[in-house]
Amino acid sequence: MPALDLETIKKEIIDSQLWRSVFRGGVWKDTPRDRAGHIIGNVWLHLHPVKVRPRALEWAYTWGMGGISFALYLLLTLTGVALMFYYRPTIGLAYRDIKDLEFAVTLGMFLRNAHRWAAQAMVVAVIAHMVRVFLTGAYKKPREFNWGIGVLLLTLTLFLSFTGYLLPWDQLAIWAVTVGTNMAGATPILGNEGPLGSLVGMRINNDVRFTLLGGTMVGENTLLRFYVMHCVAVPLVVGILLILHFWRIRKDSFSAAPYSAAEEKIDVWPHLVKREYIAAAGTVLFIMIWSILQNAPLEAIANPNVTTNPSKAPWYFVGLQELLVYFDPWIAGVAMPGLIIVGLIAIPYIDTNPKGVGYYAWKERPFANALFMLGIVMWFALIYIGYALRGPNYAWYWPWESWYLPKAAPPPTWSVFGPEGVGAYSMLIGIPLLGALSAAWMLLPKLIQRELDGRKAMGGFLAAVAALAVAGVALGRMGAAEGGFLLFFLGASFYFGFVLPQRHIRTLDWPRYLVTMVLVVSTMSVLLKMCARLAFNIKYVLTIPSINMNI
Amino acid sequence: MSYRKAFIVSNALMLAAFVWAFAKDFNAEWRPYQKKYYQLAADALEKKGLKDEARRMRRSPVEIKQIIAGDLGRFDRCVTCHVGMDEYVNPTLKNDFAENPYKSHPKVDAALVKAHPFTKFGCTSCHSGQGLATSVDAAHGWVKHWEKPMLKGVHIQGSCVKCHGNFETLKGAEAAALGKKAFNRQGCQGCHMINGFGGTTSVPLDDIADKPFERIAGYNFKRVQIDGKELRDEHHDSHWNIQNWILGHLLNDPAEVTPNDPFAHLNAEPIPPSGMPDFRGEISRSEADAIVAYLSGMTKEEVVPYRYHVPAPPAREPRLSGTARGRYVFAKYGCQGCHGLDAKQGRRRFNAAGDGQKEYDDTLPEAEQFAQMNLGAEPTLPNLVGTYTHEELVKKIQNGVPAADAKKWSPKGPLPMVTMPSWKDKISKSELDDLAAWLLSIAKKDDSGF
Repeated sequence: MPALDLETIKKEIIDSQLWRSVFRGGVWKDTPRDRAGHIIGNVWLHLHPVKVRPRALEWAYTWGMGGISFALYLLLTLTGVALMFYYRPTIGLAYRDIKDLEFAVTLGMFLRNAHRWAAQAMVVAVIAHMVRVFLTGAYKKPREFNWGIGVLLLTLTLFLSFTGYLLPWDQLAIWAVTVGTNMAGATPILGNEGPLGSLVGMRINNDVRFTLLGGTMVGENTLLRFYVMHCVAVPLVVGILLILHFWRIRKDSFSAAPYSAAEEKIDVWPHLVKREYIAAAGTVLFIMIWSILQNAPLEAIANPNVTTNPSKAPWYFVGLQELLVYFDPWIAGVAMPGLIIVGLIAIPYIDTNPKGVGYYAWKERPFANALFMLGIVMWFALIYIGYALRGPNYAWYWPWESWYLPKAAPPPTWSVFGPEGVGAYSMLIGIPLLGALSAAWMLLPKLIQRELDGRKAMGGFLAAVAALAVAGVALGRMGAAEGGFLLFFLGASFYFGFVLPQRHIRTLDWPRYLVTMVLVVSTMSVLLKMCARLAFNIKYVLTIPSINMNI
Repeated sequence: MSYRKAFIVSNALMLAAFVWAFAKDFNAEWRPYQKKYYQLAADALEKKGLKDEARRMRRSPVEIKQIIAGDLGRFDRCVTCHVGMDEYVNPTLKNDFAENPYKSHPKVDAALVKAHPFTKFGCTSCHSGQGLATSVDAAHGWVKHWEKPMLKGVHIQGSCVKCHGNFETLKGAEAAALGKKAFNRQGCQGCHMINGFGGTTSVPLDDIADKPFERIAGYNFKRVQIDGKELRDEHHDSHWNIQNWILGHLLNDPAEVTPNDPFAHLNAEPIPPSGMPDFRGEISRSEADAIVAYLSGMTKEEVVPYRYHVPAPPAREPRLSGTARGRYVFAKYGCQGCHGLDAKQGRRRFNAAGDGQKEYDDTLPEAEQFAQMNLGAEPTLPNLVGTYTHEELVKKIQNGVPAADAKKWSPKGPLPMVTMPSWKDKISKSELDDLAAWLLSIAKKDDSGF
């Protein structure tokens, strides 16, 4: 009897017609050819290059966030398809189906939790991916276009999450979506409540909000629309853009990390693939454990007649909702997010700084990094305020205060060009004055040719504001808190909106300089308007009632 | 850790997490209850010598059971744990177990239960609770966001009221009937309309059982005391329900349940506390529960098909005339809600100026001012009506008194609430004549000789 030779048996199996018809390549010998074949011969893996520079693989460089976002997208597709077997998008059945998932379907609650938490995690992961790409300057030439696709993918991720928010058809869902979609009604020109909307014939039943909702309020049509967008339309678009995104990464040599002479490329199989696997496995594990320990929220069944107090948008939009305290909906809900998206896409085209491509460069890109991180910090600070510090009637509640404690109504507000202000000369004085001020602010940093001493400029400005605040307090026109607000907001706006641009981008050519300053001044005006409202209860600094436009 | 190790560990952990998730799902709360029931039932069958049946019982599949009462829109999984009430496992619907969830439904032979077969009515049609749920707290409705938990004690009789227009003469609905009697005796209908009958001064109560907690200002269940005890802080247990909210208004001074903002601390204008009178001296504890039972049936949300309704017998007015009829009319329209039983003593009217109050004084401490404002009262009619002629009195009742005419004790305080509404379209002329006659007959005579 011949000895049982495992090697021979293995070879027999691998060389059999059945095996070879499924898997190309023979016995694995771990040669470079074998490793390359693994990538080239596999439809799923061949979006990778065969070899990659070791710099591209460092965790500290990549954070793994792009891969984790994609892993979450796949996990969401998987759990989402499973959930679709149980869920019917009609207002009579949707809520009951969710209850069934929770109480009767095997692993139904686990599935729903996983889908819910993975969606939240994906929002975070995509934003983290964007932050990483920004900080390492990986959007710079030749990757400008792919950065733009990335921004669109981020927007679509938020939209996917938002459309999914409605589907459980509970109070949380209907009111969050009501808050979110009401902002669409304030779109300039296209919304019935937006500036110029009524001039072009927008009514509540033919504007962009109506199109989104399929009605004048969140109802049966909205549920169906959101369901189709959530499960079919948006994932399709995301899929198409993802392919483009990946393809571009591959074509653009996979990583922006700079070349070094002694560098030798290494095989993607196994070096990159194993990292991807571990990142994905860690993510899935994290979502699984989260889903076991914490159930997705489900409130009472949706009731359009009973408004929850407070009603909040999904957490990633709560920052914009918080802006509603300071701005009219068309600014907070449409102009700001629009400007953010356009501004993000524009970044690679206005940032001509050739340094800092493929590595962290705090010293070489002070302006870009400072402004971008300011935007990110503001985004999350506003989310924190809106999510954690706002209670019933959207009043301010500290985390240690009970929501059952009634709060005083906010003090009455006034407008600069209103009856309590200087009167109704908004067209005559307000527009020219505000226009001149913003124009001066935009032009001045570039017009001052000599580079200012940042410390001196900042010190002088803060001293002036402090003197103003002290005078105000001494005259009894404001309290210490108002003085503090003034110092903080004016100081921040001056530093980020004037000192930094003056020192770092005054040499930019005029078109790029102006676009940058428009973005910078709009960001700062958010801070300034917050200051005006928090410290002095100013509702509008400019009122043009005839076209429904108030700032 | 090398990637090879990380690969093995992460895979093992994912598998473990999946097993954990599955185990958690598999070990659902209902499972041991159902298994235990089959054991108990099998043991009982064995004792009777029914070996085959016992074996079959022991082998019964462990599964989620539900009653689909389509007409009433009920999908009740209660029988998943309460197996003794499942007609398929326990066709006689009787067993000897004393403990929940194993025991069978009490009084299954009574006409009440016979007339409401479980397969047709489900469980929650009468008991309330969350029929779809399969865990203990969620199913009984003792969780946040389920605002109709299981009805306790006599409150369940509210469920009779939902369909039985004739509940006042119905066996088994005695508490609800008593509740309606007490409700009307105290004159609640004077302010709270039910199905078109009653005043409009306060909220209608014909859908009070559906009242969303979101509408209870500030969720202030915390101010509700039941039998002198505060409700627990958390509202996701069985205590925060509409029954306790109503009960809270009957067992406490409603002005304490809804104190609002009489000194304008939080608002631009002062807001008076609840205008509802304090009924504590006149309603017994059991009557309060009975009123809650009656009002628990006031739902518009739960749609019951018409063929499930039992119409009320036509209302019959007592044959009375003259002042006796006047006294009856006074009670029928709920005038006693404000003017006191038999018009003897006007009830509280916050911040109304009247007898027995000190001079208004700005410097008094707030608590003292509050006490003075609290002394304000609706008119005590016998003291007042003597100055009216019959026609003037009829006119007064027909037109009511405008709210702005009220005299305040504290000029800075809120406008006194609960003003006399116009009864022109509600009380017929002949009723009014008798009412005025009765009121004039009880008017205090002036003893001064004039």
